[in-house]
Amino acid sequence: MTTHELERLLLQQPVSLLHRLARGRISRHFRSGKRKLIDLLLHASAENRPGLESDLIALIEEQTRRQPAAPAEKLPQAQARPRAVAFLPTAPRPHKTEDHGHHEPPVSLHEWLSGIGVPPAQPFVPDAWQVDALARLAETDVVVSVPTGSGKTYVAIEATARAMRENRTVIYTSPLKALSNTKFTEFSRLFGPDQVGILTGDRRENAQASLLIMTTEILRNLLYDAAGGEIDVRLDTLGLVIMDESQYLADPERGVVWEETLIFCPSQARLLLLSASIGNPQDIADWLTAIRPTPCSLIRHTKRSVPLRAGYLHPNEKLTPLFRTTGIPYGQPHLLHPESKRLFAEYEEETGPSRSR
Amino acid sequence: MPPSIHPVDLVATLRQKNLTPAIIFLTSRRACDEAMQAFERSQVVLPKARQEQIAGVLTQVTAQFPSIAEHPLIGTVQRIGVAAHHAGHLPSWKIAVEELMRTGSLDAVFATTTLAAGVDFPARTVVVTQSSIRKARDFTDLTASEIQQLAGRAGRRGKDLVGFAVITPSPYIDLTVLTKGLTGQPEAIHSQFVISYPMVLNLLKAHPREQIQSILAKSFAQFQLNQRTAVLETKLDGLRAEMEPFGPRVCSDWITQWQIFDQARKRKKPRGPAARQESPDVAARLNFLTPGRVIGLVRGRGIILRQYRSKGQHAPMVTLLREGGALNECPASIVTQVFDRTYECEETSTYPWTTPQTLEHLTHQLAELPPRLPILPILIHPEEDVPLDSSIIHTLGDFPCPSCPSRQACQRDFPRASRVRQEIQRHTKSIQALQTSLWHRFQERIDVLERFGYLNATAQLTTDGEWARLIRIDHSLLITELIRAEAFGAIDPPLLAAIMASIAHDDDRPGSFPRGSAGLVTLLFQVRKLAESLMPHEEPPMLRADVAALTERWVADQTLTWIGLARLTTMAEGDMFRLFARTIEFLSQLKTLKGTHPSLAESADRAIAAMRRGVLEELP
Repeated sequence: MTTHELERLLLQQPVSLLHRLARGRISRHFRSGKRKLIDLLLHASAENRPGLESDLIALIEEQTRRQPAAPAEKLPQAQARPRAVAFLPTAPRPHKTEDHGHHEPPVSLHEWLSGIGVPPAQPFVPDAWQVDALARLAETDVVVSVPTGSGKTYVAIEATARAMRENRTVIYTSPLKALSNTKFTEFSRLFGPDQVGILTGDRRENAQASLLIMTTEILRNLLYDAAGGEIDVRLDTLGLVIMDESQYLADPERGVVWEETLIFCPSQARLLLLSASIGNPQDIADWLTAIRPTPCSLIRHTKRSVPLRAGYLHPNEKLTPLFRTTGIPYGQPHLLHPESKRLFAEYEEETGPSRSR
Repeated sequence: MPPSIHPVDLVATLRQKNLTPAIIFLTSRRACDEAMQAFERSQVVLPKARQEQIAGVLTQVTAQFPSIAEHPLIGTVQRIGVAAHHAGHLPSWKIAVEELMRTGSLDAVFATTTLAAGVDFPARTVVVTQSSIRKARDFTDLTASEIQQLAGRAGRRGKDLVGFAVITPSPYIDLTVLTKGLTGQPEAIHSQFVISYPMVLNLLKAHPREQIQSILAKSFAQFQLNQRTAVLETKLDGLRAEMEPFGPRVCSDWITQWQIFDQARKRKKPRGPAARQESPDVAARLNFLTPGRVIGLVRGRGIILRQYRSKGQHAPMVTLLREGGALNECPASIVTQVFDRTYECEETSTYPWTTPQTLEHLTHQLAELPPRLPILPILIHPEEDVPLDSSIIHTLGDFPCPSCPSRQACQRDFPRASRVRQEIQRHTKSIQALQTSLWHRFQERIDVLERFGYLNATAQLTTDGEWARLIRIDHSLLITELIRAEAFGAIDPPLLAAIMASIAHDDDRPGSFPRGSAGLVTLLFQVRKLAESLMPHEEPPMLRADVAALTERWVADQTLTWIGLARLTTMAEGDMFRLFARTIEFLSQLKTLKGTHPSLAESADRAIAAMRRGVLEELP
């Protein structure tokens, strides 16, 4: 996207979306008008243009997804708005605040608690992003950044199975021994105990298996040994490296090990980086594209597979929703439920000013 | 009102609203254990069927990990359907709790926030009681990523239609941190690239020094530095555009030329009385304020005894004899009139600046002065630019500037142009620094390794470097230096394990421990001295004698059981396990030195074999 195209695209968006985009990029963005805001956004994103673009596209998609769900009579209103604004700039815009839900009554506890239950058993159908990730992995390295509990493991398992069918070695790394052990048990159950090996700082089992679970440090050491001249067949037949919890890249003490591993990872092996939601996954994908012969795709996905609701439980055992809305109002932390607001203020008051900030 | 909800009431509420199973995040291990004790005291008991379900799962896990069978909490967990899960527990017990959660047999788990990053078990509800966590002895606010990791445990795929994150206040809570974290975007991550000694050795083993820079350029650290460079470069482009109108003039580098000329001109400016900041009338009057002169003041008259300049400001000053015999030091500007009358005044170099006889005489004269005196007319030159001295023009003659046609333009544009040029230079320098900082840090490490003899002058590995590169753990420099100092000559496995444990352990949790042997104490003293001497090059480890003694006991006394060991100390079982696991990791690095240090590798191997028993053997 050129700067000009981006600017035009930004101009077409409602101001509210621009403000959401500006969050974290521009301080005091709520003070500026639309034109100023676009200038500021373009200016602020000079260092990370792809990040801005991907966020913008994600927001537009989210909005188009939300619109069909909204009541039907709102649609023409939303379409009519730009014109109305153009001709009557001073006209009051009550529907704007309505869109934000300020005047909708806060959700009731009953409503908030409704819908608890077990979903009916249904045959497992992979999500679109999971299918997409696997398809892309056939051609490129892949970075997956999705919320906790969205099913990253499914992608790992399918990719492993595919590589093993092609007689390639698979290395699965995780940051913690406990996690390695859990995965070892899980994968042994899936692929058969003779197919799976584990290497950690203090444990070494079935070290020549075609699926190796290890801590990232061990993989780094293998790569250093190979670079130092030691011959390791496992690295020659390596077809896939899966790095779980890749957000450890930013760990103050151990992050460097992830970088070393990724720099020295054999070029014939595909990379699959699984990460929790982070702010700049595009940076990681861009980086890998820059240093590796194969390009790297980003699979980003912010929607949780099981919707989340937030509540507030007062010490007197009274439970209320935390926010006015049933779900979590992303980007609008101020939309507190009046009841939770009142109860927390009461709590702060009673437990004394020394504890509040 | 209590500062926070009672754990039993909390779980009761969750049960009643059908919000179980839940993970309840508490601030500390102790809080988790206390919550469990509160349940033990309460009378809430699970129905028989649920108890049997828990027992069934536990039997399955016990088949794999026999040590669980004697865990003291089994009965409680089975009775109340609630468990605690934190780093103080043995991994096998944690696995049991995770398995119970996965099968849906428990109603609630009390956990510390470390769980969020570690193992993966979800629940229907997550309860958050804090908004900050302890990081390196200090409490810091949870980040949006961390809060979303915590909340992300709520809602099990395929088992729940919705998940709940419930906040309940405690003294450690700031609601805005949590609401912002829940609704906000996760933070961007930043590279934490550090260059360690093993990294330098291993890279130089495989690549010549000339290639290192291109390898470092492939790091994420450099990628992010390049992003910052790009920002600076756009700024630089802007500045260059701003610089456009200030291109070459009569001379190609007119800014420097003008700057030098300007400085020379300023330096040459005459520094006489005229350069001082005095009003013209004071300056004109100054010549007449000689000792013995009668002058008029705002009130009364006086006789000048001395004229001088003040020390700090070099302001013109006078010493006055006033009517009545008072002596005053005043600024010359106090003089309002200069009269056409002077007296003989014999000067001296000390106070009162004249001889006593003269002073007496002058006091007398002052008192007898007629009321009207003729005023001395003084011509005042109005202030004007002092033209450049011909001699100065002569020395400045080397500069073409005074007679240059673009002199006026240069003078006008110089302030702005020189500021822009400075900015450009500053940015260029920071871009250079961003491009080379990693390499400089690498170079520093090379220098240290060369000084210690792991690398030769051409940055190739020496014989010591060849084996030292295999030690790829924290505090590698200390360990390799210990080996070279032959501190581990023919060391016993228990002693070796103990030293490695003290190097490996990085937790400062206090506790009571058994005492170490005399040999351990002496050796540890030597290790400490060495670690201190390495301080400028490597952060010394904690080197706790107590954990070393505990490890020594475990390796030396093969009849000691895990339970027996746990009785010797107040250290939590989970911490003990982690200490030993990490020690084994360090020892297995020593084991790789078979080729060059066979006796040490042998000793390390025996230590590992001796450590792997009981709980450590059965466990993953």
